[in-house]
Amino acid sequence: MLIFGTIQGALLALLALGFSLVYGVGGVLNLSHGAFYLITAYVFYWTIPLFGMTISAVLALAVVVGIAAATFLALIKPLQDTHIGVVLVTFALAFFFEQFVKVVGDPRTHYIVPYVPGPVEFLGVRFQAQLVILLVGSLILVTLVTLFINKSKIGKSIRAVSQDAEAAKLMGINTDLVMMTSLMLSALLVGFAAILYAPGNFIAPRIGWGYLLLAFAVTIFGGMGSIPGSIVAAFIMGYARSFSDYFISTAFSEIIPIVVILVMLLVRPQGLLGKKELQ
Amino acid sequence: MGLILEVKNLTKKFGGLTAVNDVNFEIKRGEMLGLIGPNGAGKTTLFHLVTGFEKPNSGSIRFNGMSITGKRPHRIVNLGIARTFQLVKSFRYLSLLDNIAVACLSPRGRRAFASWDIDEAASTILASVGLVDKARMPPVILPHGDLRRLEIGKALGTNPELLLLDEPFSGLSYEEKEGITKLIRRLNDEGVTIFVTGHVLRELMTLVPRVVAMHQGRLIAEGPPEEVANNKIVLEAYLGRGEKFA
Amino acid sequence: MMNFEIDLDSSLRRFRTWALSYRGTITLLSVLGLLLIPPISGSEYYAQVAITAMIFTVFAASWDLLAGFAGQVSFGHSAFFGVAGYVTAALVRFYEVHWVLALMTGASVAVLFSLLIGIPCLRLKGPYLALGTLAFSLILLNLFMMGTILGGTEGISGLPVSQNLFMDFYLILAIMIVSLVVMRAIADSNLGTVMKAIRDDETCADASGINTTIYKLIAFMISGFFAGIAGSLFVLNATAVNPAVFQPLYSFYAIIMASIGGLATIYGSTIGSFLFVVLSESLRRLADMALLVFATVLILVVRFADEGLMNPILERSQELWDKIRGR
Repeated sequence: MLIFGTIQGALLALLALGFSLVYGVGGVLNLSHGAFYLITAYVFYWTIPLFGMTISAVLALAVVVGIAAATFLALIKPLQDTHIGVVLVTFALAFFFEQFVKVVGDPRTHYIVPYVPGPVEFLGVRFQAQLVILLVGSLILVTLVTLFINKSKIGKSIRAVSQDAEAAKLMGINTDLVMMTSLMLSALLVGFAAILYAPGNFIAPRIGWGYLLLAFAVTIFGGMGSIPGSIVAAFIMGYARSFSDYFISTAFSEIIPIVVILVMLLVRPQGLLGKKELQ
Repeated sequence: MGLILEVKNLTKKFGGLTAVNDVNFEIKRGEMLGLIGPNGAGKTTLFHLVTGFEKPNSGSIRFNGMSITGKRPHRIVNLGIARTFQLVKSFRYLSLLDNIAVACLSPRGRRAFASWDIDEAASTILASVGLVDKARMPPVILPHGDLRRLEIGKALGTNPELLLLDEPFSGLSYEEKEGITKLIRRLNDEGVTIFVTGHVLRELMTLVPRVVAMHQGRLIAEGPPEEVANNKIVLEAYLGRGEKFA
Repeated sequence: MMNFEIDLDSSLRRFRTWALSYRGTITLLSVLGLLLIPPISGSEYYAQVAITAMIFTVFAASWDLLAGFAGQVSFGHSAFFGVAGYVTAALVRFYEVHWVLALMTGASVAVLFSLLIGIPCLRLKGPYLALGTLAFSLILLNLFMMGTILGGTEGISGLPVSQNLFMDFYLILAIMIVSLVVMRAIADSNLGTVMKAIRDDETCADASGINTTIYKLIAFMISGFFAGIAGSLFVLNATAVNPAVFQPLYSFYAIIMASIGGLATIYGSTIGSFLFVVLSESLRRLADMALLVFATVLILVVRFADEGLMNPILERSQELWDKIRGR
C-alpha cells in the first residue's frame, strides 16, 4: 500500500499546490478550486466522444484555465477589498458549476474510461495502470511548477508578491497579473489532476467539494502559502490515508482530512512549514 | 507623590535583535515624561511592553507598586494605563461617538461613568478633544490631526491614570501640533500622568520637564530637555543615523 | 451588563414615529401580508413554504449576528442547527417532552456547543476561523452518521405530526418576529457596539480595555441560541431529523440568505430567506434549473451588491416614493 500512498500523495500534491499558491500570493481562499476539478473532468468527459482523449484533455485544460482567468477578472479582483466578498463569490461560483453540470449534463454519476485500460502488477500489487500515469504525470508537473516558481522571472514575481504585495507593487510588479497567473496555474494543476485521475474513476456533480476539502486539509497541514509545505504534507497525508484505508477502514480515511484541519488549526495554524505570522 | 510606573531591567529580544535592552526608569505620579530616540530605538516596543502587547524576556514593570509584567493588554488598561498608537487605530464602521463609547464600556470606564448615560459620557469626552461636532461621523472623514484627537479621546474613555502617547506629533501641521500640545497639557493639569514619545525633540521641549533618550534599545540619557539636547551621546545617536534631531 | 430601562411612554412614542416612517410602514405591511397568508390562500402548501422561509430567516439572522456584527465568520453554523434539532427530536420522540420544553432545551444545548466550538476557535481569525468552524460541523456530520448514535444514518423520525399547520404558522411567525427583534436590539445595544468594535479592530478593542474573549464567546452563544431555535423548529416541522442536517450545505444556506439580504442588518435575512425558499419552490418544476438560477443570482448579488439587497432596495424605493409624492 506504499504505492497507493504515493499515488494518493501525488494526487493531493496536484490539488493542494495551486490552492496554496493562490492563497500565498493574494490571500485568496479560492472556494471554487474543487469546482475547477469538476469542470475540467466534465468538459473532458463530454468532449471525448467528439475529439478523442488527447485533444479533449487539452481542450478541457484550456477551458479551465480560461475560466480561472475570467473568474479573476470578473469576480475576484473587484472584490478584493471586502472581508468575505471573495470567499462568498468563489463559493457561489462553485455552487454554480455544480448546478451547471447537473443541468447541462445530468445528476447521475458517470464513469470515464481510462487511457490505459486494465490493471497492472508491480511489486506484487495490482492496481489500475491509469494510476501510474497519474503518478508520473503528477511528479513531472509538480517538479516543473516548483522549478518554474523558483527559477523563472515570472516565478520571482510570484514569490515577491506572496511575500509583500505592497512592496512588489512599488517595485513595478503588476500584482494583478501575478495573481491572475497564479490562479491560472492553480487551475492548470488541478485540471491535470482531473484529467489524470478522473479516467478510471467516477465523476458526479458533487465531487468538487470533496476535492476542495482535501486541498484545504493538505494546505493547512503544510502551511498556507508554502509550496514545499504543501508537497510534503500531500505525501504524508497520502500515506496516512492509504495506511488507514488498509489497516482501519475507508470510512476513517474520510475523516482524516477533517481531523487534520482541526488539529492543525488549534495547535499550529501556520502548518508544518508555513510562515510564522498568520495573515 | 509616589511613583506611578517603575521599569526595571526590562529586556525584549526578537530573534537575534534586542529591541529593548536592560531599560530602567521611573515615572512620578502627575509628571510628564518624554521619550525620544531615533527610528528603531525601541520606543514603540517599550510601549508595547508596558501596555501588555508584548511580553518581556526579562525585567519587571510595576504600576502603582503592583506588578503588571506580562499581563494582557485589556487588563492593564483596566488598571489605569491607556495608550495611543503610532499608526492611528480606530473602529472604521463606528461613529466617533461610538468609538469613544467602546472605551467607556470597558469595566474601568463603566466604573468611572457609572452614573452617566454612556452616550453622554462619550459625548463629553468627544467635546473635550474638540470633535463633538462630528460625533455621528465615521473616522474615515477625519484629517490626520483629528484622528489623533480621537485616539486620545478613546484613551480617555477608560479614565486612565497614566497615558502613553506614541508619537502623537508625527505627521501633523504646526497648528495641529499646537492643538495637541495644549490638549496634553490640559490633561496633565487634570491629573493624568503623561508618558509621550517623540521623534524630534523640539516638540517635546516645550511640553515636558523631563526626558529620557533611547538608542538601539538602551536608555542613553535622562534629564531636562535642554540638557539632553546637548548630550554628546544623544547627538551622536541621531547624527550617526543621519536623522534630524531638533 | 445591559441597562433595560423601559420607559413606556417614550417607547410608545418611538414606536409610533417608526411605524409612520417609510421603513416602518413597509415592515408592518409585510408582517400584515404574512399574517394573511393562511386565511387568504387557504392552502397548506403556501403556509408550509412560508414556515420554511421563516425558520431559515431565524437561522440566517443568527449567522448575521455573529458574522456581520461580531466579525466572526463561521462556515459551520449547521452544527448548532443540527445539534438543537437532534436534542429536540430525541426529547419529543423518546421522552414525550412537550415541544416548548424540547425547543428550549435544544437551543440551550446549541449554546453549549457554541462554547465548545467557540473556545477553541478564539484564536483563529478570518479564513482560519471559517475553516475551523466548518471542520467542527463536518465532525458532527460524520459522528452522527456513524453507528447508532441517535439513529445513525436514519436519524430520528416519527415525531408527532402537527394537528393544525396554520396554528404552527402563526406560532412560528411570532417566534421569528420576536427572535429578529431581540437580535436587532442586542445588535443596537451597548453589547452590540462592543461586538462591532471587535469586528472592526480587535487590537484596538483590546487597547480600549475590552476583554475580547468574553465578548466573542457571548456573540457565539447568542448566535448559537437562535440557530438552535431555528434547528429545533425545523425538526419539529419536518417531524424527523437525520445527519444531513449537519451538512455544510445548510451552513451555506445561512450565509447565502444573510448575505443576499445584507450583512449586519438582521432583518435582511428575511429577504434572503424568502427569496431563496420561494425561488427554489417555484422553480421546483424545473428542478435543477432552480438551483442554477439561484446560484447565478447569488454570484450577481455578491459581485454587485455587497451590502445585500435589503437596504439598497429600501433606499431606492423610498427615493422613488418620495419623488412620486412630490417631495
